[in-house]
Amino acid sequence: MIVTHFQSMVIFALAVSLAFAYLSKEKMDERVRYAVWAFLAFLVVAIGIGWLTYPFSR
Amino acid sequence: MAETQKSSINPALALVAAAAGWFVPGLGHALLGKWGKAMVYFFAVALLAVVGLRMRGNVFSSNAADAFDMLGFFADIGNGIFYFLAGAINPAGANVAIAAGDYGTRLFATAGVLNFLCVLELLQIGFGSREERRTAA
Repeated sequence: MIVTHFQSMVIFALAVSLAFAYLSKEKMDERVRYAVWAFLAFLVVAIGIGWLTYPFSR
Repeated sequence: MAETQKSSINPALALVAAAAGWFVPGLGHALLGKWGKAMVYFFAVALLAVVGLRMRGNVFSSNAADAFDMLGFFADIGNGIFYFLAGAINPAGANVAIAAGDYGTRLFATAGVLNFLCVLELLQIGFGSREERRTAA
């Protein structure tokens, strides 16, 4: 299976944020808010760290 | 009244549900009638496990060489049926010489730990305090 690094990160963020939302929140609107927030946080933090460490990669 | 019914799950049933939930992710919640959670947990664990295996991630066995391998085994065994079907899902086997294989290893381990969290929630429903049971249910 050919999955780019970004795609695998998106799959990871999607699955984990969805499961965490259902584990930690009771109401559906809270779950949706938490899942969206966690998903975006995963992506923003990962991309941010990627950019921050880019100068040290060579 | 609804709260009381939610909290009155037989601990023995919770144990059976926890075992079922470990073997097939989401099955334990399905046994307790929590279909929404069951589907989400199965989707999340199956997605991570299958993609991780298809990326040729490593699956740790019980005869670990060191402590880290043993830790990896404990994470992987959380996948239940996906652990035992790993060879069928990815007949090519692991290849951690490429980055994708390394990422696949992490995805598969994450799926296992995620499923353990779902099993812990089932145990919390059966054995936790009234407040914990209410929150988990």
